[in-house]
Amino acid sequence: MKIGSIGFAALMLAVGLIYENMALNMPRGTLAYPGPGLFPLIIGLFMIAMALGCLVQEFLPRKRANAPAGSPAPIEAPAAPEERDVMKTFQLTALMVGYIFALKPLGFPIAICIFLAIAIRIFGYRKWLPALAMAAVITAISYVSFVVWLKVPLPMGILEEVLG
Amino acid sequence: MDLFSGLIHGFSVALTPMNLLFGFLGAVIGTIVGILPGLGPLGAMALLLSLTYGFDPTAGMILFAGIYFGAMYGGSTTSILLNIPGEAASVITVIEGYQMARRGRAGAALAVAAVGSFVAGTISLIGLSFLAPTLATAALKFGPAEYLAVALVGLVIMSRLTGGNLFKSLLMISLGLALGTVGMETVAGYMRYTFHQPLLAQGIDFLPVAMGLFGISEVLVTAEQTMGKVQLQKVRFRELWPTLVEWKRSFWPMIRGSFIGFFVGLIPGPSPVISTMVSYSVERKLDKHGEFGKGAIEGVAGPEAANNASVGAAYVPLMALGIPFTPAMAVVMAVLLIHGINPGPLLMTEKPDLFWGVIASMYIGNFMLLVFNLPLVGVFANIIRTPLYLLMPIVLLLCMVGVYSVNNSMLDIWLMVGFGLLGYFLRRLKYDLAPLVLALVLGPMMERSFREAMMISRGDLSVFINRPISATILAVGAVALIAPLLIAWIKPLFARKSDKTA
Repeated sequence: MKIGSIGFAALMLAVGLIYENMALNMPRGTLAYPGPGLFPLIIGLFMIAMALGCLVQEFLPRKRANAPAGSPAPIEAPAAPEERDVMKTFQLTALMVGYIFALKPLGFPIAICIFLAIAIRIFGYRKWLPALAMAAVITAISYVSFVVWLKVPLPMGILEEVLG
Repeated sequence: MDLFSGLIHGFSVALTPMNLLFGFLGAVIGTIVGILPGLGPLGAMALLLSLTYGFDPTAGMILFAGIYFGAMYGGSTTSILLNIPGEAASVITVIEGYQMARRGRAGAALAVAAVGSFVAGTISLIGLSFLAPTLATAALKFGPAEYLAVALVGLVIMSRLTGGNLFKSLLMISLGLALGTVGMETVAGYMRYTFHQPLLAQGIDFLPVAMGLFGISEVLVTAEQTMGKVQLQKVRFRELWPTLVEWKRSFWPMIRGSFIGFFVGLIPGPSPVISTMVSYSVERKLDKHGEFGKGAIEGVAGPEAANNASVGAAYVPLMALGIPFTPAMAVVMAVLLIHGINPGPLLMTEKPDLFWGVIASMYIGNFMLLVFNLPLVGVFANIIRTPLYLLMPIVLLLCMVGVYSVNNSMLDIWLMVGFGLLGYFLRRLKYDLAPLVLALVLGPMMERSFREAMMISRGDLSVFINRPISATILAVGAVALIAPLLIAWIKPLFARKSDKTA
C-alpha cells in the first residue's frame, strides 16, 4: 500500500496547490474585514503542509511513518478476512456508473431492475433467472414505496407513457 | 422550562402514537444494523437521512436516536454468540463474551449486556437531561471566538483520538474544510470553486457525501471480503437469567462503565469505541477472580454499559452548542438542518417539543430495547444469516434512490458515487473518514465565526486568547495536540536515566 499512500499524498498536494492558487485569485480583504478568499487561503496552506507531512513520513523509516511520536495505539476494527476480490469493486463501480447513464433514457423501473439483477450476481448468487426474479420483486416494492407512496419523481424514461 | 417540567413536556411529545412508532422503528432498525457486520449505525443513518426530509424533524431525531441506541444493543449479540462484532463498539465484548458463550453462559452474557446497556442508557440520559440545558445556558455567553475555538479544538482532539496517523487525520480535516468552502460565499455572494457549474452554487450537500462515504464505500469494502458460513451458539430462554453471583459481579462494572462511557462520550472522537476500551482496561485492573480472557462477566457488563452511555453523552454538545463531535452526530445534525433548524443553545427554548421530546423518547426507546432485545435475542441473531447478495444490492438501491429523492438531481448521484469511491480508497489507505465529515460540517460555521470575530475585534487576532472561555478551550486543544508528543519525547529520556542509575 506504500505506493498508494505516496500517490494519494502527492495527489492531495496537487489538490492543495490548485486550491491555494485559486484562493490567491479571490478577494482576500483585510483581517478587520476578511474577504471570501482569506479562509480558503489559510485552509490551502494547511492542506499543503499536511500533504507534505504525509509524503515525508512515507519516506521515513517504517516505525516512525506508521506511528508518529505520541499518537495513541490504533483502534483495531473487526479483523477483515485476508482474501480480497478487488474485481468486485471495479464491477460495482461500473454498474453504478451504468445505472446513472441508463436512469433517464430507460427509466427507474427498468434501470434499477437490471442494476439489482447484476448486483445480486456480483455478490455471489450465480443463477440468472432467480436473480432476475428477486430483482423484479425488489423493484416492484421500491416502486410502490418510493414512487407511489413517497411520491419521489424518479425518471420513467421509455415507460413514461405507460406509467406516467 | 425547568428540567422536571421539560421532561414531562417531552414525555407528552414522545408518547404520541406517531413518535412511539418512530422510536420503535429506530430501535428495531438499530438492533438489526448492530447485528449485521458491515453496516453500522452511521451507515444506516446516512442511508435513511434522505427519508427524514418527509418527516417531522422530531420524528426524524427520534428515529435516529433509536437507531444509535439499538445498534449498541444489537452489536453485542453477534459478539457473544458468533465471535463477530456487529459494529466497532462491540469489538471488546468479543473477548469475554464469546468465552462466556463457549462455557455455556451465552444467555447470561446477553442478559448482562442488555441490562447493562439499559442501566447505562438511563444514567447517560439523566446526565444529558441535566448537562445539556446547563451547558446551553452557559453557551448563550459564547461569541464567535468561542464557537471557533470549540470547533477547532473538537477537530484537533478528534484527530488525536481516532488512533490513526496524525498527519493523515489532519489532512482529512483540511480536505473537509476545503470541501466546505465550495459554493456561493454568504457575505458577498462570491462564487468559490464552482467551476461555473450553477448546481455547485449551493455548495456540496452533506447528504451525498455522507451516503457515499458511509453507504457506498461500506458496500464496496464488504463486496471484496468473503464471509464463511456462520455458526450460531444456541441460547435457550431459561438460560437468559444470570445467577445471583453473576449479577453481583456485574453490578459495579455496569455503574463504572456507565460513568466512563458518559464522560468519554463528551469528548470528540469515536467515543463508543474508546469508552469500551477504557472500561475493559479498568475492569481488568480491578479483577479479583483471575477470569479475564477466559470469560469474565465484568468484561461484558462494563464495556457494554460504556458504549451505550457514550451515545447519550454524544448528544450533549450537539443539543447544547449545536456542534457535533462525532460523525453520527453530524448526520443527526443534518436532520435538523434540512428542516431549517439550527441546533444550539437556543434550541431548548425555541423548539422545546423537539429538545425535550427527543430526550424523553430516548428513555422510552431504551426501555423498549431492553424489553424486546432479551426475549427476541435468538430471532435477532438469525438476521446475520441474511445473504449478502440480497442485503447489499438493497443498500445500494436505498443509496441510489435516496440521494436522488432530495433534490431530484443527477449531480447528487454522481457526487455520492464519487465520494463512495473516495471513501473506499481512503479506507484501504488507512485514512479515517470521521475528521473529513466533521470538518465538512463544521467548516462553514468556523469560517463564519472567524470572520465575525475578526470584524468585531477589528482584525485583532488576540481576541481568541483575550477572552477567557476561548483561551481556556484553545489551551485544552494545545495540550491535547502537544502533550502526547512531549510525553513520547520525555519518556525515553527518563528510561535512559533510570537504566544508567540501575
